[in-house]
Amino acid sequence: MTLTQKRIFILLVVIVIAAVLGRLAFRAFLNLLLGGTLFGGNFL
Amino acid sequence: MIFTKRQGMKKQNNLKRKDRALWGSIYVFAFAAAFAGSIAFKVKHDPLGGEFKADWNDSVGKVYTDIAYGKGEANTFDLYVPADGSRSGYGLIVYLHAGGFTSGDKSGDAEMLEWLCSKGYVTAGVNYTLVSEAHPDASVYSQSVEIRESIPYVIAEAEKLGYPIDKMAVSGGSAGCCLALLYAYRDAETSPVPVKMVFGAAGPSSFYPEDWKCYGFDIGSAESDTAARVMFSAMAGRELKAEFGTPEYDDEIRDISALLWVNENSVPTLLAYGKYDKVQPYEGSQRLLKALEDNHVPHDYYLCEHSGHGLQNDNKVYRDYMRKILEYLDTYMPLK
Repeated sequence: MTLTQKRIFILLVVIVIAAVLGRLAFRAFLNLLLGGTLFGGNFL
Repeated sequence: MIFTKRQGMKKQNNLKRKDRALWGSIYVFAFAAAFAGSIAFKVKHDPLGGEFKADWNDSVGKVYTDIAYGKGEANTFDLYVPADGSRSGYGLIVYLHAGGFTSGDKSGDAEMLEWLCSKGYVTAGVNYTLVSEAHPDASVYSQSVEIRESIPYVIAEAEKLGYPIDKMAVSGGSAGCCLALLYAYRDAETSPVPVKMVFGAAGPSSFYPEDWKCYGFDIGSAESDTAARVMFSAMAGRELKAEFGTPEYDDEIRDISALLWVNENSVPTLLAYGKYDKVQPYEGSQRLLKALEDNHVPHDYYLCEHSGHGLQNDNKVYRDYMRKILEYLDTYMPLK
């Protein structure tokens, strides 16, 4: 694996983690206002 | 020669540093963009895939807005009529808006009203006087009275437009659900047409402090009891004096507690609640459920196990609830 390939792989991992965290943050915000669990039910 | 080698290494190090800085920036930017994008997607995305939306146009129906039913500024309703005006009788579905009795507007339910109208029903969104600085005397009780008074006007207007109403359903979300339940259980007999069913989500119907854990009223201290009494009095539009848990208290709170009007003649009821509701108590919905069971009232109760007031974390359960509305309409309000 070349250095550039490694960097692109890391970039993809960063994007996936950020998308998951963004979704969780939004869910946590709604739960704060309305109530609800952080996990379970809908996917994320 | 030594000087040139050192210079070359320095240059290489600088390039590496710049390269790292560039990729570091790319990672940070990608993280921020993906984080914000996933939130934006969630905000915009309809998890139900448009199943409960109508493609509203003249071939589906028509809406008449801001028709007055009383003297108050808020005493108006919107009436949605289906394009097919040839039938001899129509079912009316009244949908009451949410907003904690202090905010909201019938226009916020346009999507729901259009969707129900697209199924062949006459639908109406009714506004009521909200509790505010301008209307400090408004209460859940006064709002329920306004709803009761609006129904004959809604039916008369529909008939004026050529849609004779022969039966109705009442429904709503949150505060609107509370008012819908009151109309269905308390005021159905005053309706000009038979009330066939009620459906709604996350509406409070119980006003016992022990149910209102989400507000800390269940503690049973002098302070929590006082807080509960102040809030329930404001909602009832009268000072509640009786001790909690007594028949006298039930008599005082009855006017706004739909739960206390449930009997064996109550109309079929379809409900959805969130188990972690912070705005109105899930425990109260369990009390209502028991009353429906004890009185053998046909009912369905959908519990969103991971959600709060917005039923936001259980799309599958919410979808099932929405589909059940159509089943109820087919059963109790079949199209002629």
